[in-house]
Amino acid sequence: MSDIQCSSTDTVNKTVLYDRHLALAGKSRLAPFAGYLLPLWYSGIAAEHKAVRTAAGLFDVTHMCVLGVTGPAALPFLDYLTTNSVAALTPGRAQYSYILDDHGHVLDDIIVYCLDPSRYMVVVNAANTQKIKAWSSHILNTRTDLFAPSSVTVLDIRHESPGRVDLALQGPASLFALFRIIPSEYHLRLESLKPFELLHVDSPQLDLIIARTGYTGEKIAFELFIDPSKATWLWDAILDLCRDLKVIPCGLGARDSLRIEAGLPLYGHELDGPDLISPYQAGYPWAVKLNKSEFIGKTAITAHASSFRSQIVRLSFPGEKGIRPIRPGDAVLDNFNTCIGHVTSSAGIQDTQIALALVLRGKIEVDQPIALYYASRNAAQTQLGRLPKPEQGTKLEPDLKGLVLPRFAKF
Amino acid sequence: MVPENLLYTRDHEWARIDGDTATVGITDHAQEALGDITFIELPKVSQSLAVHGFLGSVESSKAASDIYSPVAGSVTEINKVLTVQPDLINKDCYGAGWLCRVKLTDKDPSKNLLTPAQYQQFLESNP
Repeated sequence: MSDIQCSSTDTVNKTVLYDRHLALAGKSRLAPFAGYLLPLWYSGIAAEHKAVRTAAGLFDVTHMCVLGVTGPAALPFLDYLTTNSVAALTPGRAQYSYILDDHGHVLDDIIVYCLDPSRYMVVVNAANTQKIKAWSSHILNTRTDLFAPSSVTVLDIRHESPGRVDLALQGPASLFALFRIIPSEYHLRLESLKPFELLHVDSPQLDLIIARTGYTGEKIAFELFIDPSKATWLWDAILDLCRDLKVIPCGLGARDSLRIEAGLPLYGHELDGPDLISPYQAGYPWAVKLNKSEFIGKTAITAHASSFRSQIVRLSFPGEKGIRPIRPGDAVLDNFNTCIGHVTSSAGIQDTQIALALVLRGKIEVDQPIALYYASRNAAQTQLGRLPKPEQGTKLEPDLKGLVLPRFAKF
Repeated sequence: MVPENLLYTRDHEWARIDGDTATVGITDHAQEALGDITFIELPKVSQSLAVHGFLGSVESSKAASDIYSPVAGSVTEINKVLTVQPDLINKDCYGAGWLCRVKLTDKDPSKNLLTPAQYQQFLESNP
């Protein structure tokens, strides 16, 4: 068998929860992801996926970079660096946003958390950490005309003391789970927390920033920002105290299938990547504020906003055992069996496969039937005539019939 | 789990040699690494296989992997039930989850393969 390798793991970083992953998942289920060894699953991808939709799941996302952006110019700097309106962000609120380069290409999709107008946290994709750190430094060093030296400090606060790392607690039971963790005087405020709002639990026993954000599409879902030295305590406390609530640890596999089912983009798949997919194509025009005075990439993205030709769609196909799994690169066919785009991500969820795909704009509508052609998986199939990279406009024989879903799922 | 009556490859396939026939499958380590197997592509009956030649492919919700033949010969039988119940490989990779039977062309098919002890050692030295 190819791909199944016994690989050496010594060049990969460990998260602060590595010992827990070893104990709960075992070494053979840990995989390198964005430079960190993380579990693919603990009890099983399907069981963990279901737990998040029906109870709650706890995810180690301490590998995700948390940038602390502070100083008198923190607000104007972030407003210049990102596409959404940081000026409109009030303390205790968060917003989804993008960092673009000068050509308007997405460098990362981020969440900006406002603690106060001179103090922000920016959560960056693990895989883009070095790139975003270098880009921020570059902007601060070259645009001293906009930002006076030392008026803004950007720090990776995962490695500070005190610092913050991120754990995600997602699913309907997560509110009740947190009631068991935080002091009772905070319960009412947590209960009334709206999506994209923050609560700072700052008691003698516990210093925890709770944000109602996440990457699963769940309505009741939180990210927990805690000092790295307390992350293991928090992980253990949630799992030990909330067993009866059916809160279970969840790995990378469920994280991916949950975000695909919800329709949420992954950088490199539904954002940027080989097709340079933009926020407009991914379905997030509201996160780019073209009426802002100035931000990096504004000119290019303004032109793109009225001219893009393809967009991300969400599709459903059968997925019972014995049906070949859909993979990125498989062709999406219209009703005339013409290739109109390709799959960017896919996941099997019970007996269904959900695919995200980049297809020509205006070619398909929600609830309409759609078809799929499997790209060749290996040399033997290619030899028999199956195309490894089906191109747009090609007529192809459909392998699987499905349905167009709304762009995002509601849970 | 490494049964004593089988021979192995470093790619995690197994073969059970019975006279001039071999039964072929993938190992416990392989099925564990793949997770829930949802699809299998098997060779065709009478297809000829070379040692380390392409035999088929297996896909789980998270991985797709090619399977290479541990032996040389021609396929006499395939385990058809796997096309509708590919998870039999997860449940019983050395029994009901066998992939195919091969009429051997090689007089000494074991010379390319690892003994149970060698395979066990290979797994332990590459955790």
